[in-house]
Amino acid sequence: MDFLTDTVVLSRMQFALTAIFHMLWPVLTTGMAIYLVIVEGLWLKTRNPDYYRHARFWSKLYVLNFGIGVASGLPMEFQFGTNWAPFSEAVGDFLGSILGFEASMAFMLEAGFLGIMLFGWERVPPLIHYLATIMVAFGANLSTFWILVANSWLQTPAGGAFVDGKFVVSDYFQAILNPFMLNSVLHMFFATLETSLFVIGGISAWYIVNRRHEKFFAKSFKIVLAAAIAVAPLQIFIGHLSAEQVYHYQPTKLAAIEAQWETIPAGESADWSLVARPNEKAEKNDWEIKVPHALSYILELKPTLSEPVRGLKEWQPENRPRMVGLIYYSFRIMSGIGFFLVGLMLVTVFQWVRGQLAADTIARQKWLLFGWIGAAPLGYIAVETGWIVRCVGRQPWTVYGEVRTVDAASHLPAGEVLASLSGFVVLYSLLFVATLYFGSRILRKGPNLELPIPQEAVEPTLDTTPAQHEPDRRPAEAQQ
Amino acid sequence: MDPLEQFLPQVWFIILGLFLFLYILLDGFDLGIGILSLTASTEERRSILMTSLGNVWDANETWLVLMGGALFGAFPLAYGTVLNALYIPAVMMIVGLILRAVAFEFRENADRKFFWNLAFGVGSFLAALGQGFALGTVFEGIAVDEAGHFIGGMWDWLSWRSILVALTLIQGYVLIGSTYLVMKTTGELQQTHYKTAKLATWTTLIGAVLITIGTPIFYEQVRSRLFEPPLLYVFAAIPILGGILVWCLWQSLQQGKERSPFVWTMLIFLLSFLGLGLIIFPYIIPPQITIYQAAASPSALVFMIVFIGFLIPIMLFYNIYNYVVFRGKISSEHYGE
Repeated sequence: MDFLTDTVVLSRMQFALTAIFHMLWPVLTTGMAIYLVIVEGLWLKTRNPDYYRHARFWSKLYVLNFGIGVASGLPMEFQFGTNWAPFSEAVGDFLGSILGFEASMAFMLEAGFLGIMLFGWERVPPLIHYLATIMVAFGANLSTFWILVANSWLQTPAGGAFVDGKFVVSDYFQAILNPFMLNSVLHMFFATLETSLFVIGGISAWYIVNRRHEKFFAKSFKIVLAAAIAVAPLQIFIGHLSAEQVYHYQPTKLAAIEAQWETIPAGESADWSLVARPNEKAEKNDWEIKVPHALSYILELKPTLSEPVRGLKEWQPENRPRMVGLIYYSFRIMSGIGFFLVGLMLVTVFQWVRGQLAADTIARQKWLLFGWIGAAPLGYIAVETGWIVRCVGRQPWTVYGEVRTVDAASHLPAGEVLASLSGFVVLYSLLFVATLYFGSRILRKGPNLELPIPQEAVEPTLDTTPAQHEPDRRPAEAQQ
Repeated sequence: MDPLEQFLPQVWFIILGLFLFLYILLDGFDLGIGILSLTASTEERRSILMTSLGNVWDANETWLVLMGGALFGAFPLAYGTVLNALYIPAVMMIVGLILRAVAFEFRENADRKFFWNLAFGVGSFLAALGQGFALGTVFEGIAVDEAGHFIGGMWDWLSWRSILVALTLIQGYVLIGSTYLVMKTTGELQQTHYKTAKLATWTTLIGAVLITIGTPIFYEQVRSRLFEPPLLYVFAAIPILGGILVWCLWQSLQQGKERSPFVWTMLIFLLSFLGLGLIIFPYIIPPQITIYQAAASPSALVFMIVFIGFLIPIMLFYNIYNYVVFRGKISSEHYGE
């Protein structure tokens, strides 16, 4: 148990743990915010009360996750100071600015309009409310943008140089538009969206299977399906572009993803490893199953490579990532899920085209619906494994090729970090279990289909007594 | 020193001060109400207390996140060193804020609310306590080497003086929370919080007097600055002004005014905060490292002013709009079904 006395390892574990747990909540809320914009827009356009009730029902799940997301994100920001002070000092000029932008542009926008979105239905005109919903979604996705700008810069630092161990920025826009930025932002944007789509789809499928409000949930199911037609394949395409960039910019990470110990020179054909047992001590795979020529096609869409795939043995052990097996399998789980979700989408679209998804017949598609229920957690797993590939694969560097993780950590007594780490383990596990418990309570309770439409939105002819103009000051929950 | 290298850190010192002040003011009443909820006599009352914060706590907390991000960008050295020195209070605050936040979401859906009530109250208390110790450390100073890196011990922040500061801050939060509740509630609940406001006025006052007297006695580096003109006049004026404000607050509470107690409390917070800012300036890691030593490069500071600076009025605008939309009393009869 040597790691219990190693501050760097403990600080890394704490950061990884808080990041992995934290990710679970915003990944749903950023994507779901867009869904809420869509259903509220549909309501304003069609005035069909079902869409209004969709907005109200899903926002219950939304706010549960949002609050926990905000809370669980706090340690992420503060850890840069508490546990990674040398890192903060070295890259603060750039990274600190970006975190400041995230807070001022994204978090504040989201938080400032959230109250109106949740509790303001009776207090502001429908269009202002819609604006608030849009601002919440915009803020959430803006924060995806800035945090991915920051992380991409760690992967492919640009726009300046390290002078005496401190990053001096020469061009901020070049630093923001670093090589990884665009693909990373898009990959994460679609990841949150795809995860949310399959969560909403899976929950809708669960209601339909259980014959609860089939017509109501057939609506959300189809909205989600229509969006997935575009999102799921696009995500694979952008993921592919990201992998190509890793090939060019981060050869150590690519070697770890492929568990490739020996270099494959340019001009040769590369096999793709499907299953393997990497052995780091022996610097080889104990056994593996390979698909001939597949890696050349994956990387370059050609039978032979135009640049080499460098093997892990080209670097000294201290200059390449460890935990090769973790990176290797995380990557395969992530991409496997990506393809599975596309497949599920295609089968469902096929049934839709055949007219099998009409509100009164959809419940007969038992297996398909069970597929969707099973797919609900897959997006989360893909996101988490993707981030493991991205950040464990970047090691031993915090800033790729520039700042080593061992040099980035604060010199804290290991006991303090162990204590805070243990505290976070307990706290985050509690949050995780409680979210599942209360989330499933909300689902079991189901939507309120008698929920009255906000007074201001009702056509003037329907107005009866002046008493109805009195705003309902009960909190939204009480009205549900 | 290059005038720009002097000017830019000063601007950022003020911007950070603004963010921190807004945080202390706004989340101050959130945390105060959280602490007060521990004493709430019925479940219904506790519901009203939490409802009064439902739409604002998140935006209020975001001022802290914003302050953290801006401190990281503008004074990276200070961000690392201060949080390194305050590891334990920072974790205490974070855990407290997490408990407070999740209590809002989970309590709403829970049948047995006891645990989440406790999380709300204890979380608020822990967060306030952590912040109080951090504030105490500002007086106490942080041990650093010449490069500004922390070289002290993990428990440096703990002393009887920082305990006094922490307790006073908690009293201040309870005071502003009480006056906020006076403004937002009616009937018996309002009467209760007139009482807690009066009590908290006294406890805050006692703490503030002790700190004001104690600071020049126990902190040499502060003393030498305090008793030098022109700062001497400023520091002589602050306790006098403070006394007047407290008297006005007391009068408004006695007369049963609804809004002015909150306004007077805000002014008391502002005055204390200005006094604190004057004691610290130009240091960012007291007592050694100035804002000029810890500042990011001028280009970084300019870049951040361009982006964050123009957003400040916009952020203020929609935050104020949020308060306007939800103005007025929260009434108990409308809660629950």
